[in-house]
Amino acid sequence: MKNVIERLLNLLAFLLTAGRPVTAEDIRETVAGYDRDNDVAFHRMFERDKDLLRSMGIPLTLTFTDVWEVEQGYVVPPRDYELPDPGLTDEERAALWLAAQVVRLGGQSTGADAMFKLGGAPMPAAGEPLAADLGLSADDLAIIFSAVAEHRVLRFGYRDKPREIKPYGLIHRHGHWYVVGEAGGEPRAFRVDRGDGFAAGQEPESFERPAGFDIKTSIPTAPWEAGDEDVVAVVRFDANVAWWADRQLPAGASRVTEADGGLVAHLPVANTGAFIGWMIGFVDEAEIIGPPELRSQLVELVRG
Amino acid sequence: MSDKTVKRLTRILSMLPWVIANPGSTVTEVQTRFGYTRRELVADLELVFVCGLPGYGPGDLMEAYIEDDEVIVDMADYFSRPLRLNPPEALTLLASGMALTSTGQAPPALERAVGKLAAVVAPAVDDALFVDLAGAEPALLDLFRTAAREHVVVDLTYTALASGATTKRLVEPWTVFSSLGNWYVSGFCRNAAADRVFRIDRVREAHVTDETFDPPADVPPPEVRYTPSEDDVRAVIRLGPTARWVAEYFPVEALSPDVVVFSASDPAVAARLLLRLGNSAELLEGDEVRQRLDEHRSLILRRYGVDGTL
Repeated sequence: MKNVIERLLNLLAFLLTAGRPVTAEDIRETVAGYDRDNDVAFHRMFERDKDLLRSMGIPLTLTFTDVWEVEQGYVVPPRDYELPDPGLTDEERAALWLAAQVVRLGGQSTGADAMFKLGGAPMPAAGEPLAADLGLSADDLAIIFSAVAEHRVLRFGYRDKPREIKPYGLIHRHGHWYVVGEAGGEPRAFRVDRGDGFAAGQEPESFERPAGFDIKTSIPTAPWEAGDEDVVAVVRFDANVAWWADRQLPAGASRVTEADGGLVAHLPVANTGAFIGWMIGFVDEAEIIGPPELRSQLVELVRG
Repeated sequence: MSDKTVKRLTRILSMLPWVIANPGSTVTEVQTRFGYTRRELVADLELVFVCGLPGYGPGDLMEAYIEDDEVIVDMADYFSRPLRLNPPEALTLLASGMALTSTGQAPPALERAVGKLAAVVAPAVDDALFVDLAGAEPALLDLFRTAAREHVVVDLTYTALASGATTKRLVEPWTVFSSLGNWYVSGFCRNAAADRVFRIDRVREAHVTDETFDPPADVPPPEVRYTPSEDDVRAVIRLGPTARWVAEYFPVEALSPDVVVFSASDPAVAARLLLRLGNSAELLEGDEVRQRLDEHRSLILRRYGVDGTL
């Protein structure tokens, strides 16, 4: 491993300072550690090194060495290599490191490698009892995230159909990841765990995110907020379940606590089916007071 | 092999810029910051010392060594910036920071860190990435997190989701964790004399006691254990077209495309689901569930002043 790392450091030092595209032959002749005598051995070694650097996010880009476009050489553009300085303080690094250790994607927390690039972890975060699992592995999500950030079209399979969307945002809510965007002229949200074969289009900047798009409001926080109905429901929760209803009611609901501890709420409902489903969960400890149509809708459903 | 190489190279290419930007860094500081043992640090510096620019003579190689407890790096300006984060690293870090921020459990420094990081790794993602782990009362989360850290026994009132039964318990909290959209606390329940996992939004009230406990040497990894048991109540349900989502949403066993077996620890869970589905689902088998379904139906209809026998 020592030899490999020495060779890679020499290769990177050469590429970062060459100031011009360098051919594979230049590299072979110039950089210490490569086999100058055996063609096959050199190419095998060089391919492996390129793969390894690429896996670290350092792409060796091929480009013509001059205007005659005869020969191609490798460059590592600084913008592909260097992390712009985010200007983190040690306090901010420590907070980020703690979050990185607490939160897992695909069963794994952020490796220390990412923190090293940001200037290391100034203190160990031992003894923190907090843990959060965000489900999916970061690999698919990173493809989607890059497509969102670079405004590339996103292609994937969903329920056995190929899809192509303009991805506007990525959100984790209610325990699932959703990619939100425009599909066939319509705003749509897709659950990422139900899609497969995610691939970003070649062209960056191939669409514009609509002004005023806010990922936070793209997926409703309560299931009955997703829909195009427009009803204000009046509901009463008995004292025994008032605490539980109160925790689930949206911030915009008005609430009045009655003398016996019961709770009366007014709230907007955009999906009456989902809302009635939620109310049924309380069995007979809650009641829709109005409007009458919503009451009878629940009664009809329960009667069967 | 290549994974180890990547890790070692990444650490070298992170350590060098730091030392270059912070001349006078001590060995201890570099060790702590980059998780080095002294031996590893010395080995990496010796390795850097023999690398550099073509020519590879004394004026071409990097200088890297320890002198008077200081780490010295010179002639390595081309490595003065750290590597870019790759997309999974950038996403995971941002998502982790946002996740904690959304719970109200994060210090202001985290919010600043996420902002600064987003500005350099993905300047165009304002309002395009969000991780929402809200869903538990911040005060309860904080109470359990502090109690778990300080090993303090908590006195809580809990209402089980399935049965609706409310109990008071003394719990030794170990881990506070979020999984599939809900927050839980795992620990030892003194009343049950066993390990238990409680959903925090079903904790009606919680108070710290003045009693402490000794946590186990190995706290079990936090997870929501749904273990199907012999005692589970089974219901065989035929799903109509508008109820097919049930098969994707719940961990059911499919007997055919439209017939599933739904298992739960309490018949009320299946009964409530069937009530929600109305005519779009039909209970084929499951006496306990049918009995509970009929009970719930009459209770609801009575509440609404309607005769349930119709």
